[in-house]
Amino acid sequence: MNISAIVALAVIGAALGIVLGIANKYLVVEEDNRITEVNAMLPGANCGGCGFPGCSGFAAALVEGEAKKVSGCVVSNQETREKIVTYLNETPGPDGNTVKVTI
Amino acid sequence: MELVSLFIGLTFVNNVVLSKFYAVCPLLGVSKKPKNALNMGYAVTFVIVIASIVTHILYHFVLVPLEITYLDLITFILVIASLVQFVEMFLKKTSPEIYKSMGVYLPLITTNCAVLGVALDNISANYNLIEATVAGLAVSVGFTIVIYLFATIRERLEIANVPESFKGTPIALITAGIMACALAGIAGLV
Repeated sequence: MNISAIVALAVIGAALGIVLGIANKYLVVEEDNRITEVNAMLPGANCGGCGFPGCSGFAAALVEGEAKKVSGCVVSNQETREKIVTYLNETPGPDGNTVKVTI
Repeated sequence: MELVSLFIGLTFVNNVVLSKFYAVCPLLGVSKKPKNALNMGYAVTFVIVIASIVTHILYHFVLVPLEITYLDLITFILVIASLVQFVEMFLKKTSPEIYKSMGVYLPLITTNCAVLGVALDNISANYNLIEATVAGLAVSVGFTIVIYLFATIRERLEIANVPESFKGTPIALITAGIMACALAGIAGLV
């Protein structure tokens, strides 16, 4: 009797888990992964020197076209800026368009 | 006809919130704005109706044959938690605004005792599948009506001249009590 209890609960749990897993596939919220990528490339000082709330705010502004110049990030060096510019100019977003930014 | 009287009985006469005092947490938590209250009502309606159907099937076709009915609580909670998770994902996808406005009270539907209460009441009252579904619908409609009315009263209370020490939750609790008194007036209806 104990075995049937364990098995029944495990099966019910697994079935519900599978249903949720399938639902998750269809209901997943698409986030622009370029924001995370650019955020990783930024220095991560979170100094606020760019005028946006932290590095993630600046990354979102760059990807969404609100900020046009990567040099708005005063902490970043030339190498980082070039890296971000080439990344954004070459990587298309979910809508298929790339963002034009300059150093 | 029996189903109609079951529906009316559970919606108004034996209203979950005002006569059984289930689900008082969301009643006080999400009743600041009538719009949020209605959204909460819809979410709870979905969860309760589906939960009544699924728990009924699970109880009679899995737990009873296997003689493990003592597992009803944990099985029902599993079902309810999954349903709430589903509603959460659905709202996050379709309307982030509602998702944000409901805040923590959306996942808290899991611990909303009305949901579990209906599932357990359905079992102890020995309802069949149709009766259980109607009961779930009736209870959630009753909940939605009460939380919406309560929210509109609270909105009016915001601008009322309430004594300092009664402002906020105390007057809300008194209001809920008076609403329960008013509802007791139709106790003999069904």
